[in-house]
Amino acid sequence: MPHGEHISKKQLEAEGESARQLMDKARAEHEFAAHGSAGGREPILQVRGLVKHYPLTQGIVIRKQVGAVKAVDGVDFDLGQGETLGIVGESGCGKSTVAKMLVNLERPTAGEIRYKGEDISKLSGRALKAVRRNIQMVFQDPYTSLNPRMTVGDIIGEPYEIHPEVAPKGSRRQRVQELLDVVGLNPEYINRYPHQFSGGQRQRIGIARGLALRPEIIVADEPVSALDVSVQAQVVNLLDRLQNEFDLSYVFIAHDLSIVRHISDRVGVMYLGRIVEIGSDEEIYEHPTHPYTQALLSAVPVPDPAAREQRERIILSGDVPSPANPPSGCRFRTRCWKARERCALEVPALAVPAEFRYEEGPAAHDSACHFAEEKQVVP
Amino acid sequence: MATVASEASASGSPGTSKLLEVRDLHVEFRTRDGVAKAVNGVDYSVAEGETLAVLGESGSGKSVTAQAIMGILDMPPGKITGGEILFKGRDLLKLKGEERRKTRGAGMAMIFQDALSSLNPVLSVGQQLGEMYVVHQGMSRKDAKAKAIELMDRVRIPAAKERVGQYPHQFSGGMRQRIMIAMAMALEPSLIIADEPTTALDVTVQAQVMDLLAELRRELNMGLILITHDLGVVADVADNIAVMYAGRIVEKAPVHEIYRAPAHPYTRGLLESIPRLDQKGQELYAIKGLPPNLMHIPPGCAFNPRCPMARDVCRTDVPPLYEVAYEGLAAERRSACHFWKETLDASW
Repeated sequence: MPHGEHISKKQLEAEGESARQLMDKARAEHEFAAHGSAGGREPILQVRGLVKHYPLTQGIVIRKQVGAVKAVDGVDFDLGQGETLGIVGESGCGKSTVAKMLVNLERPTAGEIRYKGEDISKLSGRALKAVRRNIQMVFQDPYTSLNPRMTVGDIIGEPYEIHPEVAPKGSRRQRVQELLDVVGLNPEYINRYPHQFSGGQRQRIGIARGLALRPEIIVADEPVSALDVSVQAQVVNLLDRLQNEFDLSYVFIAHDLSIVRHISDRVGVMYLGRIVEIGSDEEIYEHPTHPYTQALLSAVPVPDPAAREQRERIILSGDVPSPANPPSGCRFRTRCWKARERCALEVPALAVPAEFRYEEGPAAHDSACHFAEEKQVVP
Repeated sequence: MATVASEASASGSPGTSKLLEVRDLHVEFRTRDGVAKAVNGVDYSVAEGETLAVLGESGSGKSVTAQAIMGILDMPPGKITGGEILFKGRDLLKLKGEERRKTRGAGMAMIFQDALSSLNPVLSVGQQLGEMYVVHQGMSRKDAKAKAIELMDRVRIPAAKERVGQYPHQFSGGMRQRIMIAMAMALEPSLIIADEPTTALDVTVQAQVMDLLAELRRELNMGLILITHDLGVVADVADNIAVMYAGRIVEKAPVHEIYRAPAHPYTRGLLESIPRLDQKGQELYAIKGLPPNLMHIPPGCAFNPRCPMARDVCRTDVPPLYEVAYEGLAAERRSACHFWKETLDASW
């Protein structure tokens, strides 16, 4: 945050406080002004300048780095207490890498992930273990994320082996059975193996495992995309119910815009490693100002043949560029119909666009476009 | 469109020539654990220039039916135990190996879901596209290559001339799917079966590919069977829709009607259970329970354990595909529900 540092240095000269303290303070204030609302709730998770680069190397004996895949390249967002933040984007946009960093399965190259004000991205050992208890993950594929040789009881109970303080040994079986009941499975199934369950039931097992340690945050990476349509609704409703019951905060990652809208309070749209637009579900779906969001929304088939004549579809040309060599300036410019010279030179900042800065209303939300313009694409 | 008067059969719209007719098809899979009845009496037909969407969840038999039509069903373990597949009036199931093979390519072609695993990784795309002409028309390699470039242009792959020698892994997902489409179109077949052609693609690319497919279909006046589980894709391109459940067709209707007035509780449940982009709903309607195990399909109507309207008769009698005669609705509608009338009354 160069802006924040700038202010703090000036203040430092005037008041003579310790540089570090002031910088932190100024930065915090700046950030709270910019992203702090989190839908009007107390932020439980704050992500700032998150970057993940995977090195590309050449040579077998002498390895040298010849470049990097910029999977995530500067992501900021807040997650409010009890809120659901949806993250949407096409494959390769870095949404799953963000999820992995949130639960500390990947270390960020740069940036901060603050859980209740404390940066957790550099923790290790005991401190990391303690934090992990509070941030759990539900995986996409219920077929590969459950160990086929373990019983359901062992799978859901395994978190207690690592965090024995949550449930003493004698009470574990009962806890697991309670969890099975909570996610809508018969508690008597505790000794069964994953292959004895259907896809939807397996995803419930994955959710029960995620809940075992009573976390505050659940990061769900495409939790329903592997499921059949009629079963998807069951799992989405379950996630909804659990959120109310346990006051959970969700980061819900998916490529299906309809499901994200259904479950999310706020939505962030990612493209090639960056968030291009973020706002409440109404702001994003009914008043999108970024051309990528508009194209993405207009491309979603709506199950209503009457709407198919009325809708204006924006068909993007070409494919997503390689994250190893992203376009200069705005990353979307190679597929954007509005792109001009400025887009190749200047990286647009994720902020309320100048056009809408003095406006009150749903169009005034963060959008990283030089030529932001409101356009309704969902009928 | 040719309008040849056709025999009035149980399925299909009068006034258009039938390209393909599937009649009472039955397919089983014999496995170690027992016999899985994947297809249990499917009837549908496609006319020239018609797009029929076959909608169903995994295990509903939609892909198995398509494989039986194409003649690429793995046998064993699969076995066609009954029925007819009439293509331009000839029963494909009675044809012998070589004759059957000749119907593929020029007569009908298939587009698969996963383009990467359907293309040969060690042959260039030009060779794979050209193979269609070499094998079916005895064209020389050089002419075939020129044809391949033409095809790639036609499916709008940029710089076709330069890319014709490249291998499948050098193309993106959307481009690979275009190559699959090009390959299916190569000999200008009269019927194309597309099995989940866009499921593996991102939405923006999905829109490009569906547009291309619809355009080529119009241009060549082909029949298209679009197999999908996505109600949204169906609404965008199909003329008619057949909904499958546990190996049977449970409802058939013109596409603009089915969304407005479903006549089967399963269709209705599906429509209500999908979240919509243009609506912020509260709780989603969820169909209770799970799709049936194909080795133990429930007696009576296969949907009865999950159906909110099920009564005693549903647990004992298999419902036939009733004609839906309801005021204000199209004539050629069918529903395999004993209580289709009540379902319509409730939903419409």
